[in-house]
Amino acid sequence: MQLKTYLSLPAAALLLSAISAQAEDYVSVQYLNYSESDDRTTVSAPSIEINKDFGTDYTLNVQATSDSVSGASPTYYDASSGPSAYSRGQDIDPDDIEFGNIDYKEERMAGSALLTTRFDNRDELKTGVALSYEHDFRSIEGSADYMHWLDSSKNQSISLGFAYQSNQSLVECDYSDACDGTSGASAALDSDVITTQASFMQVIDQDSYIKASLFYIAEDGYLGSPYHNVVRENTDNTLDVLHEVRPDTRTAYGASAKYARALSDAVALHVGYRYYSDDWEIDSHTIDTEIYYEFGDFMINAGLRYYMQSEASFYSPDYFSADKQYATSDERLSDLDAIDYKLHAYYDVTEDVTVNLGGSFYDQSTGLSAVSIVAGVRYSF
Amino acid sequence: MRTTLTLLIAASALFFGGCVKEVKPWEKETLAKDTMKEGGPNTLLKSYEEHTFTSKEASKGGGGVAGGGCGCN
Repeated sequence: MQLKTYLSLPAAALLLSAISAQAEDYVSVQYLNYSESDDRTTVSAPSIEINKDFGTDYTLNVQATSDSVSGASPTYYDASSGPSAYSRGQDIDPDDIEFGNIDYKEERMAGSALLTTRFDNRDELKTGVALSYEHDFRSIEGSADYMHWLDSSKNQSISLGFAYQSNQSLVECDYSDACDGTSGASAALDSDVITTQASFMQVIDQDSYIKASLFYIAEDGYLGSPYHNVVRENTDNTLDVLHEVRPDTRTAYGASAKYARALSDAVALHVGYRYYSDDWEIDSHTIDTEIYYEFGDFMINAGLRYYMQSEASFYSPDYFSADKQYATSDERLSDLDAIDYKLHAYYDVTEDVTVNLGGSFYDQSTGLSAVSIVAGVRYSF
Repeated sequence: MRTTLTLLIAASALFFGGCVKEVKPWEKETLAKDTMKEGGPNTLLKSYEEHTFTSKEASKGGGGVAGGGCGCN
């Protein structure tokens, strides 16, 4: 109870809305190096985040990232034309059809801004915009999320969020009737994504809370990958290597629950579960657990995540018959499971400066594995 | 699915309904710590992780509506 007398007004505001907002000004710079096995994708991604309070009613969070992606992605191709995602064609000699890595390189710039507005009753409205740009892809998103406290002690809240995303991909003309496939040109194909989420948060006691959410995602438009091919086996036994074809709509829903508990002054435990299901017949389960351990000026964060999914109805690693409307051999739509281990360390160099270094290892049943290394510094002001 | 969700919500309400205690605002020092924050103390690290998972797996969602797109397909 003595804590009450020591609290300044901003600190009291922080505790009132402890679960939903962090009242702190800081700049964080992080660097990611991501490397997959089998000479597949490598990513180099520096990022910056600025979080700034304007009084106790407004917080602005701005993030920017630059990804440099290079490496290779596995798909079918006509080897007589070279290992390229664009090595497609009809009546291909079976001996020339190979499944292997095709090289690619991408540069991506992404940024987002999120403004949190707190009203007199301390309800919160978060409004955000996000942009992402690659040479063959661009995305723009707007979002709003309103959180309402259900009780005067701020122990229960509900929130409702909505986001609209507009994407545009440049795709080789052999996929689309919108342009001349013989010219080698690309067509700009659009897709829209609508995301809604409703959440309920309950403080259980002084050391724990739980948050449960229901979400719905509707996608419409070009939902394929420009870099993935399939092999079609025709009735006359000839083989074609073609751009994969996915349905142009996808509806998904799911539920998630997160539980956080301080086991002691120094140890905090987070446990989460997510269920996902969509009309491509993909169901997935994700179990996520993390622990934070603080000692002196150090903090250790260790995490373990397990993921499993069923395959899409139109996925097959094999050749497709000509009567199939949709077909993909993209392993990411296959029946798979994955486990991710992570370990990060934080050190408070001064009261205002914290450095961090850590890594994770991701292992998927498809044979894919990846190592991520993240290093960064955060300055609070 | 609807039955599963109903059972999940009912079980959660029963389990946590019996455990919930009223916590006053000045008793939330622990809950206000960075390590108790949803997503943890390092927002950018969480963004990296989510980006990796959504680009290597077929499902997404559940972590909030704001995120931004990527050409991960």
